[in-house]
Amino acid sequence: MMTYIVFILSVIFVIGFVGFSSKPSPIYGGLVLIVSGGVGCGIIMNFGGSFLGLMVFLIYLGGMLVVFGYTTAMATEQYPEVWVSNATVMGVFLLGLLMEVMLVLYVLKSEEVGVVFKFSSVGHWAIYDIGNSGVFSEEIMGVAALYSYGAWVVVVTGWSLLVGVLVILEVTRGD
Amino acid sequence: MNPLILTIILMTVFLGTMIVMASSHWLMIWIGFEMNLLAIIPILMKKYSPRAMEASTKYFLTQATASMLLMMAIIINLMHSGQWTITKVFNPTASIIMTLALAMKLGLTPFHFWVPEVTQGISLTSGLILLTWQKLAPMSILYQISPSINLNILLTMAVLSILVGGWGGLNQTQLRKIMAYSSIAHMGWMTAILVYNPTLTMLNMLIYIMMTLTMFMLFIHSSSTTTLSLSHTWNKAPLITTLILITLLSMGGLPPLSGFMPKWMIIQELTKNSSIILPTLMAIMALLNLYFYTRLTYSTSLTMFPSTNNMKMKWQFETKQITLLPPLIIASSLLLPLTPMLSILD
Repeated sequence: MMTYIVFILSVIFVIGFVGFSSKPSPIYGGLVLIVSGGVGCGIIMNFGGSFLGLMVFLIYLGGMLVVFGYTTAMATEQYPEVWVSNATVMGVFLLGLLMEVMLVLYVLKSEEVGVVFKFSSVGHWAIYDIGNSGVFSEEIMGVAALYSYGAWVVVVTGWSLLVGVLVILEVTRGD
Repeated sequence: MNPLILTIILMTVFLGTMIVMASSHWLMIWIGFEMNLLAIIPILMKKYSPRAMEASTKYFLTQATASMLLMMAIIINLMHSGQWTITKVFNPTASIIMTLALAMKLGLTPFHFWVPEVTQGISLTSGLILLTWQKLAPMSILYQISPSINLNILLTMAVLSILVGGWGGLNQTQLRKIMAYSSIAHMGWMTAILVYNPTLTMLNMLIYIMMTLTMFMLFIHSSSTTTLSLSHTWNKAPLITTLILITLLSMGGLPPLSGFMPKWMIIQELTKNSSIILPTLMAIMALLNLYFYTRLTYSTSLTMFPSTNNMKMKWQFETKQITLLPPLIIASSLLLPLTPMLSILD
């Protein structure tokens, strides 16, 4: 099972996304995002990126989702919509689940899967080697490079975040 | 809007497009597109009516979907070529997905449905930015990947866009929707020649931007958003009426005005590449465009449209200062003799 752990985690990831795309109340969407975020962290960690996985937990789940959860809790209605309360939501959720199950069976049964691009079914997800260039882990070197050679990317992303906040404030300000 | 916030947001729109046009790494291009999209949303929502909110939401949804498709194409390209540099995209799957994503951003058929609705829901100035500046970034990426684009898909979308742009604009009286359909048709002309000679795409883009800027500024000057209110400009500013006539005929592609130059060059380039039926069809479908432009000139400049008597004697308020209107008008009508100079665009 450990060789196919990435495959299992990514299936749970997709099911989580189906869960909030079927549009229950946002508070339940946040709940599912927590699960998806945790599972995504697991996927990254299996590729050797322990630092980035920790970043997902700390910043994404521990920062952004907490703020999202608090604001949604302030704005929620008395009886929020669950997946089973509304026929439409349940229908879409079951449809998404069905498609994911069919895809998983397709991947497990056949040698090679060629949907948009070809990959060799489950074998492609098994991790035999982490992307290590010898002594240093590639992933930490990437983060280090971001702050040295890639300083322009930091400037651009920082500016985008600032403008994102300004845009959101401007849009919700009203007249 | 607070002037400081407006400045920062306009700067970010500008910066987003500049990052797209100047980057050599696919991820930076995607970041530029997203920055551009994020920053233009409050500009589209300046009016705070439900109509403007709906238009901004539609714009955001379509452009975000296109960005996601672009990201998928970038990753497929990374999978097959192992690098992030902008070159021609060697993998056909990635190339097709990228072409479709950029066509969604430009508003080519069959992804044109958002253009009239979004343009109608926002103010004239926002519509101006939407139809001119926002076309620069996707077109620059199409220019850079042009050697590898699948010809069948691009030409199909181009010809259908010219048809839809001409046909769809026929039943419109709202000026912003007319400009939107005109934009769809012009994008069709631009992408038709992209694979054969990308320089002409840039020429067409340049002339199109100048003409659309002129048209929008003339509309802003007379504060008119419908054909009916445009037909009252003879009373407010007769000179504007004449200029509307000239610019509209230039947009329709009539010689000796400068709108003829891109159409002429494109048809010549297509026939040089041994396709005869295609430019004939394109030229015939451009007649549909010309029809609704001349209908606008008929109601605006050539006749005194029926109106009530108090519309015929208007108060003469102080005229608005419109930036750069005289040079724009000259550029959008008199550039035809400068055709040999298009070699500088190479």
